[in-house]
This record gives sequence, C-alpha cells and structure tokens, in this order.
Amino acid sequence: MTPDDIRKSTETAVAEIAAATDSDSLECLRIKYLGKKGMLPLVMKALGSAERSQKAEIGKLANEFKVRVGDAVKARTAALSQGAQGNGIDYTLPGNWKSFGLKHPIYRVISDSIKIFSRIGFSVAEGPDIETAYHNFEALNTPAHHPSLDGQDTFWFDEKTLLRTQTSPVQIRVMESVKPPIRVITPGCCYRRDTTDATHSANFYQIEGLYVDERHVSIAELKGTITYFAQAMMGKDVQVRFRPHFFPFTEPSVEFDFSCHVCAGKGCRVCKQSGWIEISGAGIVDPRVFEKVGYDPAKVGGFAFGMGVERIAMIKYGIPDIRMLYENDLRFLGQFK
Amino acid sequence: MKVPLNWLREYVEFDDDVQGLADKLTFSGIEVEGIARVRDGLEGVIVGEVTEVKDHPGADRLKICMVNDGREIVQVVCGAPNVKEGDRAAFAPVGAKLPVGIKIKKAKVRGEESFGMLCAEDELGLSDDHSGLFLVDPETPAGARINDVIGEPDDVLDLEITWNRSDCLSILGIAREVAALYGTDLRLPDAELCESESRCTEKVSVEVRSYEACPRYTARYLSGVEVGQSPGWMKARLAACGIRPINNIVDITNYVLLETGHPLHAFDYTQVKDGGIIVRYAEEKEKITTLDGAERELDDRILVIADSDKPLAVAGVMGGAGSEIGDTTSRVLLESATFAAPGIHRTVSKLGLTSESSHRFERGVDFDWVDFASRRAAKLMAELAGAEVSVGVVDRHEGPPQARVVDLSVKTVSDVMGIEVHREDCASILSSLQFSVFETDIGFSVTVPSFRGDVTIEADLIEEIARMKGLDAIPAAMPGCHAVGTVDDQRSLRREEIRDQLIGLGLTETVNYSFLSKKLSEMLPDQPGVPLPNPVSADYSVMRGSLAPQMVDMLGRNLSHQNHDCACFEIGKVFSSGRGGISEGERICVGLIGHAGRYALDRVSKTKDEEVFLWGKGILEALIAINGRSMDLEPFSASLLKQGACARVMIDGAPRGWIGVLSDAARKEYRMIEPAVVGEIDLEAVIESPVREAGIDQIPVFPAISRDIAIVVSEDVAHGDILEAVQGIKCPELTRIELFDIFRGGGTGDGRKSMAYSFTFQASDRTLTDDEANGFRDRLRDGIVSKLNAEIREG
Repeated sequence: MTPDDIRKSTETAVAEIAAATDSDSLECLRIKYLGKKGMLPLVMKALGSAERSQKAEIGKLANEFKVRVGDAVKARTAALSQGAQGNGIDYTLPGNWKSFGLKHPIYRVISDSIKIFSRIGFSVAEGPDIETAYHNFEALNTPAHHPSLDGQDTFWFDEKTLLRTQTSPVQIRVMESVKPPIRVITPGCCYRRDTTDATHSANFYQIEGLYVDERHVSIAELKGTITYFAQAMMGKDVQVRFRPHFFPFTEPSVEFDFSCHVCAGKGCRVCKQSGWIEISGAGIVDPRVFEKVGYDPAKVGGFAFGMGVERIAMIKYGIPDIRMLYENDLRFLGQFK
Repeated sequence: MKVPLNWLREYVEFDDDVQGLADKLTFSGIEVEGIARVRDGLEGVIVGEVTEVKDHPGADRLKICMVNDGREIVQVVCGAPNVKEGDRAAFAPVGAKLPVGIKIKKAKVRGEESFGMLCAEDELGLSDDHSGLFLVDPETPAGARINDVIGEPDDVLDLEITWNRSDCLSILGIAREVAALYGTDLRLPDAELCESESRCTEKVSVEVRSYEACPRYTARYLSGVEVGQSPGWMKARLAACGIRPINNIVDITNYVLLETGHPLHAFDYTQVKDGGIIVRYAEEKEKITTLDGAERELDDRILVIADSDKPLAVAGVMGGAGSEIGDTTSRVLLESATFAAPGIHRTVSKLGLTSESSHRFERGVDFDWVDFASRRAAKLMAELAGAEVSVGVVDRHEGPPQARVVDLSVKTVSDVMGIEVHREDCASILSSLQFSVFETDIGFSVTVPSFRGDVTIEADLIEEIARMKGLDAIPAAMPGCHAVGTVDDQRSLRREEIRDQLIGLGLTETVNYSFLSKKLSEMLPDQPGVPLPNPVSADYSVMRGSLAPQMVDMLGRNLSHQNHDCACFEIGKVFSSGRGGISEGERICVGLIGHAGRYALDRVSKTKDEEVFLWGKGILEALIAINGRSMDLEPFSASLLKQGACARVMIDGAPRGWIGVLSDAARKEYRMIEPAVVGEIDLEAVIESPVREAGIDQIPVFPAISRDIAIVVSEDVAHGDILEAVQGIKCPELTRIELFDIFRGGGTGDGRKSMAYSFTFQASDRTLTDDEANGFRDRLRDGIVSKLNAEIREG
C-alpha cells in the first residue's frame, strides 16, 4: 500500500463507520478494517516492507489509521447504543402487554390486613354469611330484639337465621372450636338493612380481631395492637386515641381514632380540622361472652376489635362515596395501581 | 341529647370553658358530637309593644303597626298573621342585627315607611318556626332586652348517649357526671311542695294489674290550674333541646323529663272517669287515638293507662287525645311511673311510634326518682300555672328493687387496664360516681346506685374506673406472642394467592353485593339464589346463586361508560337453598369483552366469538394449571350463552363450571357490539394447595429435535381429535405437540382446513438422529392420515 492508499483508506473507513446504521453493520466494518484478516494487517505489512526512506511517513500514517479508525468505531458504537442517530427502535411505541390486573380496594385493605396481623401471629378465621341468631346476637351478650340494635336492622330468613350484621359471630365460632390462647382476625361480608348513601351500604365488609389468653389481657395490649396496625396500614407516624364507648360484647369498650395520616394531626379537610379520624370500636371481652362459649371468665381474658373495611379504604385512598366501591367502574378500579 | 350549658350550671359548677368540658365528657365516654351557640347575636333586639294595628293600603297581607320600643312609638310594616294590638313581641329596631345576617335599616315597604322589624322565631335563630311573631309575656316592659326574656346567649352540647347509659339522658344525669369529673357537688333542683288542704287519695285511685310491666305508678292531683303559655326562659330551654313548647302544663312535664330524665304525663282529670287509673294490658283490637292524632289499634301485649271505660294513654309511649291538657283544663292528674323496658320496646316496634318518654323507658329509668320527678313537676305547676297541689300521692309498687352489690378486685383493675391502679384511686372514682364502697381483702364490695342499671359485674366497675382515669393514661404495649396458629387458615391464604394469580393473568378485580335484583337473578334460571324475606329494595332482593349475572351487568355498565376493553374477575360467595337450609359456596367468575386480550397495535379489527372464547379459556387454563390441576372442556348449553360457543369446564375430570360467549339476546340487552365471554368455576376446585411430592423430573441431557407437519382435514375435525389421534400412536420419544397455524382456502379445498403442527422428539439416553426423527414423523403422519381422513399438505 502506498501512503496515499493508506490515507484514502483511513478517510473511507472513518466515513463508512460514521455512517453505520446499526451495531451489526458496524461490527462488519470493524472486522473489515481492524480485524485479523482486515485492512490493518495489510497496513502493518506495508509498514514492514516499506523502504527505509518511507518508513517514518508510513509508520505515522499506519498509526493514524489505527487510532482514527479505532476511535471512529468507539464513537459510533457509543452513538448507536444511545440510539441518538440512525434507525434505532422507537422505544416510545406501546409495550407489548395485553391487560394488567388490579386488586379491588376492598381486598387491598383485607389482604394488607391479613399480612399485617399475620406478622404478629394472628391467623385468619372465617364464618358463614348466613348465621344463626345465637352466634350473631345472643352469644355476644346481645338480645336479638334490643333497642341497642335499632341502628343495625337485620335481614332475617326466619326466627333463628339471618345474614350476619357483623363479623363478631366468628369470634364465637372460633372460641367454640379451640381453647385459648387465641389470636385471629376474621375478614368478611356483613349485612344491615341500611339505606344506601355516601357512607352506608347494606352490604359491607368488616375485619374483626380476637385475642384471648389464660390471664387478664389489658387495655394497654389492645392499644399496642391497634397502634401497630394503624402504623402498618396508614403510616408509621399515625397515633391512636381511645374514647370510652359501649358495645354489648366488650367491657370496657372503646372507640378508637387514628391521627390524620394526611396532615399528621394538624387539621385538614380529610379529618374535618380535628386531626383525628374515627375508625371503629374495640374492648376487653365481656366475661358473659366467655361464659357463653364455656370458658371460665375467672381464668381467661381477651380483647376484640372490629373495623369497617370500606371506612379504612375510603380514608386511605381518599374515596368520597362508599357506593363507588360497588359500582365496579373500571375508570375507578383502574386507579388502584 | 342536647344540653344547654347554663341549664347544666344550675346543678353543678365546673371551672372550665365549653371546649374543655366537651373534651372531658368525650374522653370519659359521653361523646360530644357538636357544640352549638344559641340565642346569640341578639344584642339589639328588644321587646316591642304593639299599640296599634292598621291595614296596609297597598298590600292585603301586610299590616302597619305602631310599636312602642320603650322610648318612642315607631311605625313598622309587619307581615305576621298573628299580630294584634297589645302584643309584646321581639322587635329589632333600626340599626339592630339579627343572627340570620340581616341588618335592620329604615325601609319603605309598598310605599309605607317602616322603622324596624317585628320578628318570628326563625329570624331570631331560636327555631325554624316562621308561623308568626315571637310573642313574650304581656307583663314584660317594652324596651327590655330580648335576652332578658329568653335567657342569655348559651352553648348547647349535642351528646351521643350510648344505650347503656340511660342515666345520662337528662341534664341532671350529665351534671352528675360533670360533678364526678371536676370533683364538685351536685345541686338538686327544688322539689319541696306547699300542699293544699285536699287529699290526693280522695280524688285519685290507681290499680296496677301487672307490676312486672309497671313496677311503680304514682299519681298526684292538682286543681286550679291555669293553662297558658310557659315563661320565655322555659320555652327557650325546651327549644334549645329540640322540644316544641305547647302549653305550661305539657311544657312542665317535658321540662322535668329533660331535667331529671324521668318521663311524666299529665291527664285532664275530668276525662279520667272517677279519677280511677287502671294500668292494664289492652284488649285485642282495642283502639286509641294518640296525641299525634293517629288512631292506633292495640293488642293484648301493649300496656295502657285506662279508666274503667277506655284507654287513656299507651303506657310509657304517648298519651291519648281524649285526655289531653287543653285550654280549659283546670284539674290535672299527674302520672309518674316506671314501665319495664322490654314491653315498651315491643310496643314501640309494634306501633312504629317513639317519643322522648319511650326512648327513656326502653333504656330503663330509676325507680327511686319517680316521686322526685313528680314533686318537681308539681312544684313548677304551682309556681307557673297557679296549681294547688293536693296532699300526698297515690304510690303503687311492690317495694323497691334491691340494691346491687358487686365485688371488685384492685389487682384485676390493674391487670385489665395494664397500668398500676391504687386502691385509693378506685375508691375515690367510684365514690365520685355515687357508688358506695366497702373495703374487702382484695378490694371493695361496691353498692351500685339505683340509677346505674347498666353496672352488673366487675368488668362494668373496671370500665368506670378506666373511663374516669382516662384511657390516654394507658400506654400501648404489645401482647405476648405465644398464641400463634390458632386456626388453620390455609384456605383464606390460598384464596388470597388465587386472587393474586388472577390479577397476574391481567384481570381486574370487581366486588359486587351479595344480593341482586330478582330480574338479574333470573339470568341463570338453574341458579336462582335465595330470595330475602325482607329486602331493603327490589334491586337487592335475592342472595345471588351465581356471580355471572352481576359480571354481565357490570360489563354492560362499563361499556355504557365507554370502557370498551374489560378483563375482570370476582371471587365471592353464592347461595342456594336446599333441604338442609341455605348453603354457601364460593366461585370464581371471569368476564372479558373488547380488545383486552390483544396487543395495542392489533386492535383495529373486531373481535370474534372464537377469539374472546379462547382468551377466556386461556385464563381459566392458566389459572388451573398454575394450581396444579388439569382442565378439559365438554359440550354445554345454557340460555345465557351462545349455542356452540360455550363449554362445561371439567377440572381433574369433574364438572366444575362453565364458560361461554354471551347469547345474542344477552348481548342485545346490554348493547354489546362485540362478543363477551363469561366463565364461572367453583373456587373449591382449586382452593386446596396442589399436592406436590418431593423430587423433580430429570432435566433432559440430550438435545431435542422437531419436525413440522401440516394436516388437511375436514372442518368438523377438532384440534382435540387430532391430539387424541396422536396420543393413540405409539411414539415414546414424542415430548411435545404444538399447533402453530390454521389455514383455510388456497389448495385446502371447500370445507377443509390445514392445521400445522410442530412435533418435538427427545430421548433420555441418546441424541436422536435426523433419520430417527423423520421416522417418527412419518409414523405420526400415517397414523393421523388413516384415522382422520386427512391429507398431508406439502411445502
């Protein structure tokens, strides 16, 4: 090769490499110019066989060939891998998935609750939706026709059979079947003859919890458990507040509030400026409930709590109307990613 | 319940502002749901005396009144129908502001000048009554501040009283709590009577026929009663508590009810035959017209107050119109009694009638307070209605109930609260709530006061101590951890796993009510569900027998919302009634419509029955395979589904569900332009964890080799037929069969199709040669050709 040949080859090679449109053709060019059977060995051969007088010039050109072509390959490789030029794929085209599935917010809350409580040793217990009046009321220290039930009118099938108005009957079923210690949560569907509006639904979900041990179980432990759940479900800074209340199957009974997860208790629209959001009820299991299931109230103690799944979902996800949860409009469900 | 603070302060002192009091009450178990400011913003409003009333020349309904405001007489245009000369009414002179946001200015009304406004109750913010002027006692001097008449501005607490605390359904009851919370004393109102000469027993007799239903009945006799308006302060208090003033006698019974929590009833004595009260059960179909004007038919479990002729009142619920206190009433028989809660509750439910009285009797009233409330009301009637109160009272009962005594262990208090509680704390808290405590070895023997019928066991006393001490004082502590694995919850956890699998398969979860309309339930006539005997509405009248109807309905509704591509599932309960009663099962339902199963760039052409069916089938197949089971389809038909485009789903050989394309009729009803597929299987079929024995199949060492064959068969030959044919041909090296193309037209001929398969061969002990593979292919080809009348497509 003459010095001119080398000069020309260098320019040609650099131009061709710069014009390579994809990594395959670039690789071909690299082999063509720098490969073992390519042009570089020919150039080196020309150097080896050059006249002494031309050696310096050809040596310089050979080095230039090697460096410039090498650099051109490097530069083009980098450019192609960035897809900045040439006909790379249009990575903005839709990805090739078909549909993706999302969990319903009600079951997001239920599934999360199962996981949260399973970490502190609660297993999941279930019961029938169609319950006996005994399990739903009597065994829970609640006469079936009592004014305390006026707010939760019942769907009756006959005098002894009804649609459960709460998941609390599962407490009874668990205690009838096992001995303490007990640690269960019981998610499930409940029914009350409520007229449906933004916050009431005749069909709704609850999660009940029951803890029983062969000792006195304290309000402090109930508070610890609810606080653990509140922080796992709503955020680690959420605080829990107890207010005395009344339920027939717990004594003492409390209602509990979570500090507002949106404003951290400072007061905002979500918590109606109070800093607190009313969640649900709990308490120390009434000894009369233990008597009903054949436990000795002198020897066992426990706490129970019940929470509305929709209520938690509405607060956590900012859902303004309970009915949205049952309309199954995909424009709504599609937001729970 | 509403509690005006200035009324409360009559009975108890507390050094706190309204918010402080509200917090104390809320955190001791009496939730304050709201605080309202009443009688506020009336600074400029005074009493005006109407000295003259003339017709307005320009308007029939307006009057021109001359009003004395205490300093001068001004002209005022007034629209109230009840305005008359001599009235003293609330008057807002020019410059005054009303709480409803009006500022009074000099005005011309239809051409007549007006210097102020005579006000109705609603304009003063006292109630929503706009029927006439707010009139005050005619003795009131003109120009007096209206707040001097109706009371100063006040805060009214709105309390939620839980049903066990019937003792708190009164101002005094709340005062008792407040006294305990602030460590101050309770002051009872004056009930000392100045009795006249006549003896009550000469005028009134009482016969109680069931002391079980009516443990105590007292009657007082009052004469010389002047029925009229109550004083403004009493009307204002009643109004603040949500009770409409009627006349002084009725108002006093209501006032004392609010004050003491004890319901009272006043009869017009002349309407009680011989003054003889009989407390008895009604006769079957006996009728009474109650004070609300409704005629009510009674039954023999409803207790009535009667005389020897007729029922006078539905006991504990509502008086009768016949013995009502009217303008001419001058003699009053005042009832104060207790009625047993269950009977009152039954009457209330039976008649669909409630009242302030029944509300309290249903929850239980205090036996010991019967006479106090009666004396208090009589005292007020004497003061405010000029009544003469006869000596004594007719009091019928079988002795007071025995005081309840409950033992309390101080250690249990500490154990249940989770903090150390001292003996002295327990004693002082219980004493402040009027429990009597006597020391015992372990704690106390506690006597429960008569008004606390809710306290029956030790746990109740612990609650009293906990709520008074404050639950904030109790720290959060995690419970001990030895109760793990109480019940077997594999089933629940597996259900969650299957839910996640379906989501992973690209389906969005839906949740429907367990009940649906009758019409919807008829979509699958063989799974009608269970009708509800007392549904809330026709839309929710049947417990569902299948998840499919709501799935179809949901797809339709989403289409109408322009959600064209839907891929959904639901896991839920279904119900059916049989010989053993109602039984529950669980199902998985899937529903697909639109292009949800296609890649984004492939959504132009319309979907076809076969395509959506195969999407649905694919999802069920994948779900069932993931869960270690096998699925087959068998012929099926249902009216909901298109004939020939549906199948029964067999899981591990047993019928477990169905899948199919919706019938044209269903599509039309839901305005579905494109085909939809719905399928439902028993959750039971997949919920058990698949049994998987230890050990794995050996991963093949030698390479596989594949051969393709295109087979031309008649259209009625199914893919399944070809698979079956192949399985009948002995070829142990065949490890996989894959259909990769179906082709119609070209050289296949009419009514025939070409199906292209790829067969994979592999041996565990050697590398197969090309010749061997060709041999296997030829064997399969010949077998298929002979079994299915097939041709082999060359090329």
